[in-house]
Formats: sequence, C-alpha cells, structure tokens
Amino acid sequence: MEILVCLKQVPDDSVEIHLKPGTEEVNLDGVDSVVNAFDTYALEMAARLKEAVGGSITAITIGPEKARDAVKTCLAVGANQGYLISDPAFEAADTLGKSRILAAAVRHLEAEAGKPFDLIFCGREATDRATGQVGPQLAEALGVGLITDLVDIEQTGAGICAKQETESGYRRVEAATPCVVTVNKPAYDPRYPTIKSKLAARKMPIPVLSAAELDNVDPGRPGSHVVRVYEPAKRQAGVKIKEETCEESVLKAVAMMADAKVL
Amino acid sequence: MTQYEKVSPELIEALKAAVPGRVSVNGDINEDFSHDEMPIYGKAMPEVVVEATSTEEVAAVMKLCNEHHVPVTPRGAGTGLTGGAVAIHGGVVLSTTKMNKILGYDTENMVVRVQAGVLLNDLAEDAAKQGFLYPPDPGEKFATLGGNVSTNAGGMRAVKYGTTRDYVRAMTVVLPTGEIIHLGASVSKTSSGYSLLNLMIGSEGTLGVITELTLKIIPAPKEVISLVVLYENLEDCIATVPKLMRSGFQPQALEFMEREIVRLSEAYLGKSTFPQQFEGTEINAYLLVTFDGDNEDQLADVIEQASEIVLEAGALDVLVADTPQLKKDAWAARSSFLEAIEANTKLLDESDVVVPVNQIASYVTFIKEIAKDYDFEVKSFGHAGDGNLHIYNCSNDMAQEEFERQVADFMKRAYAKATELGGQISGEHGIGHGKLDYLAQMVGPVNMRLMEGIKHVFDPNMILNPGKVCYKL
Repeated sequence: MEILVCLKQVPDDSVEIHLKPGTEEVNLDGVDSVVNAFDTYALEMAARLKEAVGGSITAITIGPEKARDAVKTCLAVGANQGYLISDPAFEAADTLGKSRILAAAVRHLEAEAGKPFDLIFCGREATDRATGQVGPQLAEALGVGLITDLVDIEQTGAGICAKQETESGYRRVEAATPCVVTVNKPAYDPRYPTIKSKLAARKMPIPVLSAAELDNVDPGRPGSHVVRVYEPAKRQAGVKIKEETCEESVLKAVAMMADAKVL
Repeated sequence: MTQYEKVSPELIEALKAAVPGRVSVNGDINEDFSHDEMPIYGKAMPEVVVEATSTEEVAAVMKLCNEHHVPVTPRGAGTGLTGGAVAIHGGVVLSTTKMNKILGYDTENMVVRVQAGVLLNDLAEDAAKQGFLYPPDPGEKFATLGGNVSTNAGGMRAVKYGTTRDYVRAMTVVLPTGEIIHLGASVSKTSSGYSLLNLMIGSEGTLGVITELTLKIIPAPKEVISLVVLYENLEDCIATVPKLMRSGFQPQALEFMEREIVRLSEAYLGKSTFPQQFEGTEINAYLLVTFDGDNEDQLADVIEQASEIVLEAGALDVLVADTPQLKKDAWAARSSFLEAIEANTKLLDESDVVVPVNQIASYVTFIKEIAKDYDFEVKSFGHAGDGNLHIYNCSNDMAQEEFERQVADFMKRAYAKATELGGQISGEHGIGHGKLDYLAQMVGPVNMRLMEGIKHVFDPNMILNPGKVCYKL
C-alpha cells in the first residue's frame, strides 16, 4: 500500500503561549517546534498499517527550511521517504491554498513514482490553529473520498475499513481507495525512534519541492481571512473534590450541588 | 534528659501577636501536619502550627519558644521520607510554605534569591522561562527548596551536576535562640573560616531554620535527549553503568528500572510508555539516560557513541526520546514510581543507600537474595549513575507489628552490607528520626558525639527539631 502522510510543524503545544502585549502577534520566542500531535498519530497509524500489509510511507510538509526537522523526525518513526515543500510563493497561503499546494505535490510525487497513493493521512487538525480544514480541502482538491476522525484502520479487499470517532461513540466506515483520512487520538501512542532508525533518518536526503517542481501551482485566492487575533478569556479553575473514598467524593459533590441549588 | 514544656495559653497568645492570623491550635490543625510521606515512622500532632511569612516572624517564634522551652519542628512541604518534619516531641510546627516568593535573579553572578518555602517545581519553571537551569532535580518536585537544602537532596541530574549542596551560595538562618545570621556569599570560592553554610546544608532543621537562599543557576543546555535502553536482564543493565560513566560522555541522568516497577507506574499513570518485548524477547530492565549539550550535531554524535557502548554491552535496543512529548512520557513514568508504590501499598518503608558505582550490581544482587527471607515485597530502583538506590519494602497483608519487625531486620542487613561495600546509609533522603539508630551504627559513637556537640553549640536548650539526626532524648 502506498501511503502519504501530510504533516505540519507547530509550536510545542505543552507550552502556554501568549500574544505579544498590545499586539495580535503570537509570541513564540523560545518555544520549540514539534510535529503536530495529530500528525504523529496519523503517522503511527500509517506505520502500523504498513507493517500489517506492506508498502511504503512518504511524509510531506509545507514550511520554511526549519520544517525539514519535522520530516526528519518522521523518517525515524516509519516514513520511508520525505519531502519539504518550500517556496516564498507559498508563505501567505491559507488552508485552502495549502490544500491546493499539497494536491499539486501529490500529483507530482505520483507522476515521479509512476504509481498513485492509495491512502493519504492527515491529522484531524493542527494544535496551533486547529481549523481541521486541510484534510477535507485536500480530498476535495484531489476529487477523492474522505473519512474524518479515524482512531483505527484496516485494509479490506476493496479498500479500507475505518473506525471513526463520533460525538456519541464510534462508527465503522468502509471506503474505496484512493481516499484521504484524518486521524484523531488512537488507543496507542506514537512509537519511540530507535537509535538505528534515528541515525538512518539523519543521513537520508529530504528533497525540496518548490513552486517550479509543482508546475508553478497557484495557491489561489484565500478562502478565509483573519478578522482578529485575541486570547480567550481565562476560565476560573473548577472545584476539586478529593475525599478518601469515591463514595465520600460523590456525597460531597451532591451536597455542594444541593447547596448551590442546582439539584 | 531534656524536659520540654507544653505550649501554654500565654505562649499561644504571644505567637498570635507575632504571626497574626497564621497560628493554628489543636483542633484547628490539619491532620497533614502530623506526618510526612513515610507515616510508618509514626504520626504526631503538634500542639500549634505557625505559618510564617518572613525571617523576622521566624525569629520571633524561635525566641518565644526558646524562652518557653517548647520544641519547634521546622517544616516545608512535608514530602520527606524519614520523619524529619514530624513533631515527635509535640510543641510547635513552624511551616515555611507561605514564604514562597522568588526574590530575584542576579544574572551577572548567575544566582537566584528565594524564600525557603518556594517549591522546587516553581523555581525550575520560572528559571526555565528565563533560559536558566537550576540543576538539582529530586523526584519530588513539590518539595520546598528549604527542605531540599535541609536534606541535601540529590535527584536525577546529580550524575552530571551534583547535589543541592553544590548550588547553595548563601543563606539566611534563624538560630534556635532567635538570632538571625547570614552565611555564605554570591562568590564561587571561599576560604573564610569554618563553613557554617555547609554545616547547615543537610542538617535537617536541627541547627537553625533556613528562611532565605541564594542559589546558583546555570544557562539551560540548548539540547536535551533521553535514551531508553532495553535489557533482557538487570545484571546486563547495571553492568553497563560503569562503562557508560567511563566513556566521558557525562550523562546528565542515568536511572535503572526493573520491569515490575515500570508496569506499576504505567498502570498508575494509565499510559503504557516503555516496550515490554523486543523481537520476541521479554524486556526485564531499562536504563533511562539523559544527555545534554549546546549543539544538535554534537549531541547526536554523543548518543550514537553511547548507544554503541550499551549495545556492545548487551542491550537489546536503544530508543530515542528527542521530542518534548516523548521525553515527558519517559520521565513521567520514572518520576511516578513512589506515588505508584504508595497508591498500591498499605505498609511501606524504604531505604536510600548509596554505594560506590562499581558496587551497584553486587549490592542489588545482595538485596534480591536477602529479600527472599521476608514476607514483604522488595521493589528497588535508583540513580544508577551515582550509586544511590531506593529500596522499598511493601506489604498489603502483613500485620504492622510483624512488618516492622521484619523490616528492621532487613534494614540492619541492608545497611551493614552498604557500609561494608564502602557506602552510606542515605544518599539524599536524610536521617530524620526513622534512620537515627542506623546512622549511629554506621558512623560510631565518636562521630555521633561530635554531631551532638555541634547541635548543642547552635541550640543550647535543644529545642529545635529534637529527636532527629543525632540528638535522641
């Protein structure tokens, strides 16, 4: 199975981030860059699928030169090859523009390899802007099917069978390939790279795809524009109830709700 | 023998006047003040708890208690493991947790000034935000810095950076008489008389109450990578340690862990982090190693060469934790050992021996061997890089009296062996009152006499934390 994993380099989401005072600019001073957590889940799911059915994984990202590190990270945990899509012409692209660029990269890589991708994995959203738009927009740009919020996947005779997380539970969805899938947090965690895979990844080339390689794809007119950037209002900390036993905690919670006249 | 007075109503009124609004008496005292994290050594409710906010308030409390001949037990966050902060002779518990201000950084001299009740975690986070590292890194991040200094706490990074003692430049201390003294200075060397500063460090609140500290900080290393090394058996795992230490790569931290305790910790955290098998072979031991440096390529070379050493020495494989999430997960599993044991154990005791690094393997083998003679379970883990081992005696079904009897016998043998191998009975937890008799056995009567003599000089009425370290009523 030929698999493509799209990933994004984002600021470390374990760090609390603020705007620079009096501006709408996000202060990222001293904040490390990491691979978007949902993309690491997507890669792990893809790696497990590859181990089960065979095939190859290609990892791509759009970003500046430093995003090369994100691709390198993925080469150590399951990706067989990686590309950095980078061009000044792409810098201003919004999610719609990025999905057009990614679609052009898909066509380019398929033509180069002489075979199509069977599956394209994306994280359900990026932890920085959390729009969740790129996966669906990419499926649209490529004219293929889409399944969102996967937490598990397996190959079937005709395509794939996916376990999709919904607001009320799970749904099993079958789809023909090729298609795009977006991945939520599965029951397992991404693997650790081994020293061997890490060293191998360090030596692997990561070619750059610029606008010229991608037939001078035009990100097009933005599909969205940002009206205002602001920090969400701080929510008050909740009350922690931690009695000796579960029963005592429940009784205390009930008593507190009764006192507050919400029961 | 010293006789102490009970806290009188007059003393309570005087304490309330000295520390308004922060004096609790009898029924109002939170039960937490009656024990630390090792309640097996006995609980004791103080008669009064005073929560001071300044050196002057501490001085006033000490002066009053000294005059009234009432014992005072200084207490930080109560995370100790030897009963050091428990008021076993009643009297007043003097809590420093409300003295929790970071007073400021001197970035030219690379020091930070803090009140003694600042939590280690708060300083570590605050320093990190400014690009600094406060290297001491005990597993318990919610201990106070005053408590850390009082026990000379060590922690994970001691292998490369040393223990708390190496980072204390100066301090303000209130003596048992109420006098305020300043020890040390923001200098990197000194040859100016007896080092009272170093005498205070590790004195477990028996010589004076530390109220303010000037601590050394260093520029934070730019790159940090941890390795999880997988082994089929503990012997191979521990035998690697001297080889790694000889390599000259200077790991920041080097911890060994056995399978059972890793599974216990993972179950406690609800997250499986470390692999259980490698290509069909069951993994029974792990080394968790951290390297730091200022250059990514240089550090990559270090981990490559260190990996070659461990693989040649019999490791099954080496996993690389190089992203914030992977590092956090790997160290969360290690840092939760004690909590995981506490959550799963009704009767618990521990020892904290330190042996020369080349004796770790024979010591661990000895402990495993003698553990068979007892009805409790023995769980051990530790700082492989500096020979400091934490050995836990755990039981869920023994009667307490029998547990204590068997543990006493186990400890006696374990400490005797550590001493025989050239070790010490505590690497970083201290003596408190739980280990006082074992200390006396290890160091002998002359050393104990000297220590008690020193205590008399600082504390003529012997009111400060009696029954701890060297002075037993």
